[in-house]
Amino acid sequence: MKKTDKIIIALLVLGGFLTLFYPDTHPFRRVISQKELAYDAALPSHYIPTDKVAKMLMESDPSLILVDVRKPKEFKKFSLPGALNIPLDSILSTKYEDMLDQDVYTVVLFSNGSGLADQAWLVLRSYDYHGLKVLKGGLNAWYRNILHPQEPDATEVTSDAYKRYLFRKGAMYYFTGIRPAGTSASPKPAAAPKPVVKRKKKEVTGGCG
Amino acid sequence: MGPLYPQELLNPEYNLLIGFLIGIGFGFILEATGFTNTRKLAGVFYGYDATVIKTFFTAALTALIGLFLMHHWGWIDIYKTFYPSTFWIPTLVGGVVMGLGFVVGGFCPGTSLSAASTGKRDAWAFLAGVMIGIYGFIFTYKTWWAGLRASGKLGKVNFPQWLGIKEGIFIFLFVVVAVITFVLYQKWQNHWKTKLTKEDLDELGL
Repeated sequence: MKKTDKIIIALLVLGGFLTLFYPDTHPFRRVISQKELAYDAALPSHYIPTDKVAKMLMESDPSLILVDVRKPKEFKKFSLPGALNIPLDSILSTKYEDMLDQDVYTVVLFSNGSGLADQAWLVLRSYDYHGLKVLKGGLNAWYRNILHPQEPDATEVTSDAYKRYLFRKGAMYYFTGIRPAGTSASPKPAAAPKPVVKRKKKEVTGGCG
Repeated sequence: MGPLYPQELLNPEYNLLIGFLIGIGFGFILEATGFTNTRKLAGVFYGYDATVIKTFFTAALTALIGLFLMHHWGWIDIYKTFYPSTFWIPTLVGGVVMGLGFVVGGFCPGTSLSAASTGKRDAWAFLAGVMIGIYGFIFTYKTWWAGLRASGKLGKVNFPQWLGIKEGIFIFLFVVVAVITFVLYQKWQNHWKTKLTKEDLDELGL
């Protein structure tokens, strides 16, 4: 046996011996503490805005999975394009486990408001599912923002708000096929004051980001 | 501290760059240690060369021990790493197909790329086969393989949980098994070494 072989074997045996003194990690399924669950639920980062979902749908983003957690009857009446219906009471069914319990796709849960979807998120998160999002404001917000976008108030319009409005008008046309009123005319109202360009202070981020 | 990318301590762009650099290093070392020689690779199945088995066991054990200890020392959060579900039947079938390809072709997918980059024509043929396999699987993914893919589902499990023992004990036993395998294999190899003449070894390129 060569000298390097012996050194490597000795190191591996030493490392293996050390592991005897540590508790289990259970990397496959962690038990989430109540405190952690409460903290996660309070963070707004698990909400995804309607504009972002609309953009992903319009770009046919393959990583997006839309999950309607309402009852099948409501789902049949109206839902988002390409959405799957997993009612809240069967959300933990093993049939859907592979789709919901993964790290690859962006799974967006939604309901009429955000109550049902929030419940579904909480149930799944307590089983340590990762990367689930809730559509902010649910289908109500979708209806308000994407299907019936309101022009921002002309007196206090900012460039951001106006850009958002233009995007939503485009999205409305994309999803409904109805040409929004006023698109054939000049898209910018003549009376609108010059948009105030707000220079956002960059958030402090860690690392070299 | 880690993993760096899921915690956004590193930009996705840097992630790709680091992956690229690791890939170059990996390929370089495969070539430097003779892993692009089909006869050296296939030797593990016939018993005259232990390099492959040593490398694989060492890599698996280093990752196993390293991840376990580093998690407990707070260097990496194991819960933020990807943990796939187990489907034992397709894994077994895939393993047999891969092993057969390994014996017949003399490459595993990684080494075939290394060998192809050094200009070996058999590696190019092997790579063409790999591509046919990949694209064949893509186009029949939903039709032919749907049943097989979903069979033998065990969910997210690991061996210690399955055997009902502590993770540390399993890791230690695994190290012991690896060392015993290595020593026994070394004996088998020595038995071969007495049979093979120097000309044989030269012909094998070892």
